[in-house]
Amino acid sequence: MNAHQTVGIVMIEDDEGHARLIEKNIRRAGINNDIKHFTDGTQALDFLFEAPDGPAKSGPALVLLDLNLPDMSGTDILAQIKAEGSPLKRTPVVVLTTTDDKVEIQRCYDLGCNVYITKPVNYESFAQAIRQLGLFLSVIQVPEVEEH
Amino acid sequence: MIATIRNRFVVKEGRFGRVLIAFMALGFIALIVTGIAAGIATSRNEQYTQAVGHTYEVELAIGTARRLIEQGEASRRGYLLTGDTRYRKVYGDWAGALSPAIGRLGQLTHDNPRHVASLGILRREIAALLDQRAYTIGLVDRGERAAALAQFEHETSIRRLSTIRQQFDAMAREERRLLDLRNAAQRASVRVFYVILAMAAVILAFVALASWLTVSRYTRDLAASRDTLRRFNERLEETVTERTADLSRANEEIQRFAYIVSHDLRSPLVNVMGFTAELAAVIPPLAALVDRAEAECPEIVDQDARLAVREDLPEAIGFIRTSTQKMDRLINAILKLSREGRRVITPEPIDVAAVIDTIEGSIRHVLDDRGVTLTIERPMPRLISDRVAVEQILSNLIENASKYLQPGRPGTIRVSAEKRRDRVIVSVADNGRGIDPRDHQRIFDLFRRSGQQDQPGEGIGLAHVRALAYRLGGTIDVESQLGQGSTFRLNLPATYASQDTPA
Repeated sequence: MNAHQTVGIVMIEDDEGHARLIEKNIRRAGINNDIKHFTDGTQALDFLFEAPDGPAKSGPALVLLDLNLPDMSGTDILAQIKAEGSPLKRTPVVVLTTTDDKVEIQRCYDLGCNVYITKPVNYESFAQAIRQLGLFLSVIQVPEVEEH
Repeated sequence: MIATIRNRFVVKEGRFGRVLIAFMALGFIALIVTGIAAGIATSRNEQYTQAVGHTYEVELAIGTARRLIEQGEASRRGYLLTGDTRYRKVYGDWAGALSPAIGRLGQLTHDNPRHVASLGILRREIAALLDQRAYTIGLVDRGERAAALAQFEHETSIRRLSTIRQQFDAMAREERRLLDLRNAAQRASVRVFYVILAMAAVILAFVALASWLTVSRYTRDLAASRDTLRRFNERLEETVTERTADLSRANEEIQRFAYIVSHDLRSPLVNVMGFTAELAAVIPPLAALVDRAEAECPEIVDQDARLAVREDLPEAIGFIRTSTQKMDRLINAILKLSREGRRVITPEPIDVAAVIDTIEGSIRHVLDDRGVTLTIERPMPRLISDRVAVEQILSNLIENASKYLQPGRPGTIRVSAEKRRDRVIVSVADNGRGIDPRDHQRIFDLFRRSGQQDQPGEGIGLAHVRALAYRLGGTIDVESQLGQGSTFRLNLPATYASQDTPA
């Protein structure tokens, strides 16, 4: 129904370098959606839930989330987004982080994370993962189909 | 603390023993002295009793002799006055008994010179008296009573009698004197005996008191030692629990530290790697530009620019890339170790041979490629431990054994296991290139390798193996000589016992 509404990408990532690399690779994958970048959790949550142009008030969105943030843990943000009764419960969240700890990954999936991507040091696979994510994003233009 | 208690205990016991023995010896000596004193006193007393008896006997003998003489005199006088033969007969009896009585007296008093002297005088006087009496009685017998009476009037028998009486008195006095002396001696001896008895009683009382004090103090000390020991014992368990908790905490801290450090190191590494790739991506257009410039306008391309684009840049990027990759592998190794340390150990019965079979199956192709034969010596003892950890250890060891071969010699690996009391020792022996004895400890350290670096690897495997072995409460060591092969021995408890703090 909202087929013409573009999906905004909200990137929560404290490392500027990582953010830049992610953005570059998303653009390379041919995704031209608007990307909003936040370097800390407080501002990001504020935008997600309160901002008039934020995903809670308008338009579908996709969240790219790093787990290691200066002011809070990424899992707290994930939990808030995916909490019962949250307006963003159906917003897809891609966790993008350096941790490849099984326990951590499981926890993220338990909390409702849609995709978990480990930032590999091997750049090719990193770029590959981001491009695949781009493909994924192009598929989920409409939030209602996210359940696939 | 144990040592202190033990020392105190031993010292006390030794001193206690000596003191007690000293007191007992003193007590026994006092008793013996008292006994001897009592014996001496008793024998003295007996002697005294005998002496008193003797004195009475002497007095009796003196009395008997005196009586015989006096009664003899009386009968003689009766006979002289009346001429009655009854007196004459009685006199005969008295006179006859006199001699044995004197003899008896002599026997009793032969050891006393004074008595002997008195008795000498007595015998002489009595003999003269008897002669005179016999003479006067003979006159009466012959009927010459008047002559006998006349003789009686003139005779000296009165004087002689009084001499005799005096001598008897002297003897009786002498005997009394002796008795008094003996009495005094006896009293003195009894006094000495009482003094000894009193002293012994005092000593015994003192010994008893001192012994009682010593024993009660010793008992008190013993009770105190026992209490200390019990308290210490109670505290020991607490201390052990505390220490174990401390160790666990410290271990957790280290694991956490390793985890955070390796994790945070990764973040900048992602940037280095990512932007290096970006740089690498810049090279082809730049190179194309230089190529075109060279073709179209050669004068603007100098040697530096050509070198920079075609050699320096690719070289620099290549080194950065290999280094970051290596760093990533090292960080991953630390992460893996720290993760391994936090893994929950789940002991279960393990068939070691079956575990090795599984490993063999999974690396079959590698073994075949390298031309290595693996022999498993069956049967193998059973083990109750963590399956994953044991599998990782053995797989690492077997993988290593198949990796470092002696050139020109087909590899053979022999895995055996034996049970020694409550330990199971698994040996992995190979005929490979061996390890320099200097490196036997080093190879178990993280990132350390030995020998020629002709095989890929980061020096993580054996560090991992050792960490796992420790985790299972075991040890690992190696026996090896260069060119002769190596034997790795894994020593594990047959039944895994948790080292973690009980919840």
